[in-house]
Amino acid sequence: MIKKVLIANRGEIAVRIIRACREMGIETVAVYSEADREALHTQLADEAVCIGPAPSAESYLSMDQILSATMITGADAIHPGFGFLSENSKFAQLCEKCNITFIGPKSNVIEKLGNKSEARNTMISAGVPVIPGTTEPIFDEEKGALEAEKIGYPVIIKAALGGGGKGMRVAKKPEEFASAFQTAQKEAKAAFGDDTMYIEHFVERPRHIEFQILADKYGNVIHLGERDCSIQRNHQKMIEESPSIALDEELRKKMGEAAVKAAKAACYENAGTIEFLLEKNGNFYFMEMNTRIQVEHPVTEWVTGIDLVKEQIRIASGAELKFRQEDVKLTGHAIECRINAENPEKNFRPSPGTITDIYLPGGKGVRIDSAIYSGYTVPPYYDSMLAKLIVHAKSREEAIMKMKSALGEVIIEGIDTNVDYQYDLINNPDYQSGNIDIEFIERL
Amino acid sequence: MKLKDMFKKTNRKNYISIHSSDNQGRPEVPEGLLKKCNACKAAIVTEDVKSNYYICPKCHNYFRVHARRRVEMIADEGTFEEWDQGLTGGNPLSFPGYEEKVKALQEKTGLDEAVLTGKAKIGGVETVLGVCDGRFMMASMGEAVGEKIARAVERATSEKLPVIIFACSGGARMQEGIVSLMQMAKTSAALKRHSDAGLLYISVLTNPTTGGVTASFAMLGDIILAEPKALIGFAGPRVIEQTIRQKLPEGFQKSEFLLEHGFIDRIVEREEMKEVLTEILKMHERCEDKTGGCTDCCSLVKEEEHTEYKGLTSWERVQISRKKERPVGSEYIKELFDGFIEFHGDRYFKDDRAIIGGIARFHGVPVTVIAQEKGTTTKENIEHNFGMPSPDGYRKALRLMKQAEKFHRPVICFVDTPGAFCGLEAEERGQGEAIARNLYEMSSLKTPIVSIVIGEGASGGALAIALADEVWMLENSIYTILSPEGFASILWKDAKRAKEAAGVMKLTANHLKSLDIVERVIAEPENFTTANLQDVTDKIDAYLAKFICDHAAMDVETLVEKRYQRFRRI
Repeated sequence: MIKKVLIANRGEIAVRIIRACREMGIETVAVYSEADREALHTQLADEAVCIGPAPSAESYLSMDQILSATMITGADAIHPGFGFLSENSKFAQLCEKCNITFIGPKSNVIEKLGNKSEARNTMISAGVPVIPGTTEPIFDEEKGALEAEKIGYPVIIKAALGGGGKGMRVAKKPEEFASAFQTAQKEAKAAFGDDTMYIEHFVERPRHIEFQILADKYGNVIHLGERDCSIQRNHQKMIEESPSIALDEELRKKMGEAAVKAAKAACYENAGTIEFLLEKNGNFYFMEMNTRIQVEHPVTEWVTGIDLVKEQIRIASGAELKFRQEDVKLTGHAIECRINAENPEKNFRPSPGTITDIYLPGGKGVRIDSAIYSGYTVPPYYDSMLAKLIVHAKSREEAIMKMKSALGEVIIEGIDTNVDYQYDLINNPDYQSGNIDIEFIERL
Repeated sequence: MKLKDMFKKTNRKNYISIHSSDNQGRPEVPEGLLKKCNACKAAIVTEDVKSNYYICPKCHNYFRVHARRRVEMIADEGTFEEWDQGLTGGNPLSFPGYEEKVKALQEKTGLDEAVLTGKAKIGGVETVLGVCDGRFMMASMGEAVGEKIARAVERATSEKLPVIIFACSGGARMQEGIVSLMQMAKTSAALKRHSDAGLLYISVLTNPTTGGVTASFAMLGDIILAEPKALIGFAGPRVIEQTIRQKLPEGFQKSEFLLEHGFIDRIVEREEMKEVLTEILKMHERCEDKTGGCTDCCSLVKEEEHTEYKGLTSWERVQISRKKERPVGSEYIKELFDGFIEFHGDRYFKDDRAIIGGIARFHGVPVTVIAQEKGTTTKENIEHNFGMPSPDGYRKALRLMKQAEKFHRPVICFVDTPGAFCGLEAEERGQGEAIARNLYEMSSLKTPIVSIVIGEGASGGALAIALADEVWMLENSIYTILSPEGFASILWKDAKRAKEAAGVMKLTANHLKSLDIVERVIAEPENFTTANLQDVTDKIDAYLAKFICDHAAMDVETLVEKRYQRFRRI
């Protein structure tokens, strides 16, 4: 049984984990950098250990410092949160060697899923759909056209050494293939001095749909429904919701089963997320598996009523899952907005500084996960996320209204935030009608 | 609002407890999982150090590497064949306790002596390998070390193999007295025979390389590489400080210091060592085909376009030759050759950046490339002293040419200098002697030389790398007895009459071609910059292919005689 958890993280997720531990009667140890002496997680935990200077590489990423802190405080488990060392298989392995419970999957599983091609192969052999593409390099157009036909149009032609969009062309129809291939190859040759090409199916304006899964040490795996995280800026999620209006019961079942299959194939254990790209025609493809708790986990918690962090700790201490798939019911609709210290008018430049005044909304169906308070100084060294505002209501429409109202109440003075930007997104008619995909923000 | 101790309801502890009792099933760091870096004092994961070439992941400090680990890092897997296993030395001074000490170390390290020798493949190339192990009496050289190295080198000579020795040593072994001293002579002599057989020796210096080892086999490489920040010297820093009663400057006797002072060719990071060694070995493999696979190079070379004047005056050409945007030596090297490995230093005093040189491949054929380098930005201009070489630069060039001669590589020189550096230090170290020596040695160098004037070719400073079998000029380059300014000031005591001087000096490529001073004039595009450099290098490429092909077939006597006559007739 876990008695004391060291939280190898900072910010709201550290606070979230401390709260879960406290509710379970588990002692907590916070670690903090010199820049985080006044941080909420430092103050809230039962014990706190300074692990180094402000830069993450010398503190929150410093494995030996964190191990030392674990030893001297006598913690028996480490919760890595997200980011930092959470998906570092070497760190997980060190914990295993030192007889520390790493709250997450086994190190070899993290490693396997972190390797893109290995993860892809695992999924292919488990029968989980991946984006079809050539495995062998293609040099000539005729052979390429044959492969493209097999893969299915539209296709994207990519230079093996490609980057920055160079040597990349989309062919929507077979008639376009020849010229697209020639241009891409010519460009590749000129830019990289190499004309090795790959062809893969082009997933047009997909949605980002991810499935939360829970797996215990005894091979029981369930999914907790999906999250629609299509509202992204530069691959950074901004709004997440559950359930997704793009999924009907049938598709949810199909994708959920694929997610469970994926987790089983990877011998997964603890909480994890399978990310898919969903095409308009209902085809979906495995992208990657995140082997940690995610920022957007509260939307799932709200529609399923399951506390994911507590489940993580239970699973890590060897408990069996208490529910089966049929026990999981999605109730109502939850939406999360990430509130960041950044200025959308200045190209989302981070805006560290001291929060002079703060008011955060509340009331029925409103949840705030944050680590900020009046007088808190947002350090410039870390991620700019300040808080997560999550709402829950019976329907999506109602949830949107609630989010609008809640965002309207947020007051954070002293630094720039993206609250107004989020307010505009929520009010966007396309968003409200659910007409979204991962290029939504790009098109604004 | 300060939060400190605000949350009274938490069961905060204001001390940190160390749980020592009841360790059953408790977290614990197993023995050996972590170690401490002796440079930055940080705790580091042992596994990280091992998988990272024994380099501290935090401060990048290099740990000493045991000989067998070094072999694993350098040799192709499973190819190392150890020689002279079990060879040990005696106790010539009957030094008390010496034999016991050696025996204890043999048990501790599993080695017979402080050096491991044998044969291995590196990147597929067979080579003789010697590696010192610092655990064994600081890898000091006694009879056994000297004997093992001498035998390995002798065997390399008879099997016609290259030699690589990783040096790491405190010097001669005190306990064996004068016998140790003689090992310096023995190893050096064996290496001389190896070299005289035309074979390659690469010396790699690691921390520390000092005393009698520095003063023998370590410093005798055709190519000397070093790991970063290694201590390399004859007398140790402590001894020097005690003798002269002065504090030594920061960085004294470190690899970087030696590089700057011209004693090592290159500093190579440990991660790249195998790759660099492989590249060098491959460039020295016996290659019968010296034509670069050229089958129809002669047809590639069209007779050069007529570059007659284009209405430019000589003075205008002088100005074009000095333009800031004009491509410089290093850019030609990049454009024309593959895998250029720069070698530094004259092995006497300095690495002069005004001349750069090294080995590279031209259509697969190993060549030695030497260029007077001006640099492009102001910072680079200063670093390369605006292309004005010091005696050290000429000596480096000569060293590289001698190396080319030994390994039968053609030499390609790029001339671009306003003149040899005119200054106090240059005279102190013998500017005149250095230039003269180059002319003297180049006249009979037993390998083809071609020099290409790409910008300014002023005075003896240019000729010192242009006593060649053929000299080519770019259309708007110049080649002169000295700058037009200097010419005007000597003859007319008025440097302002440079323009007029340029008119009478016959310094343009076309003038020099008609005087039979140069063989070729290579046309340039208008507004010649790096953007259209390829227009010019494409032509040079074809001419070079023909030059190398023509001269590869020539026997050495004819080659040298023709070069002699080329200048004799003028």
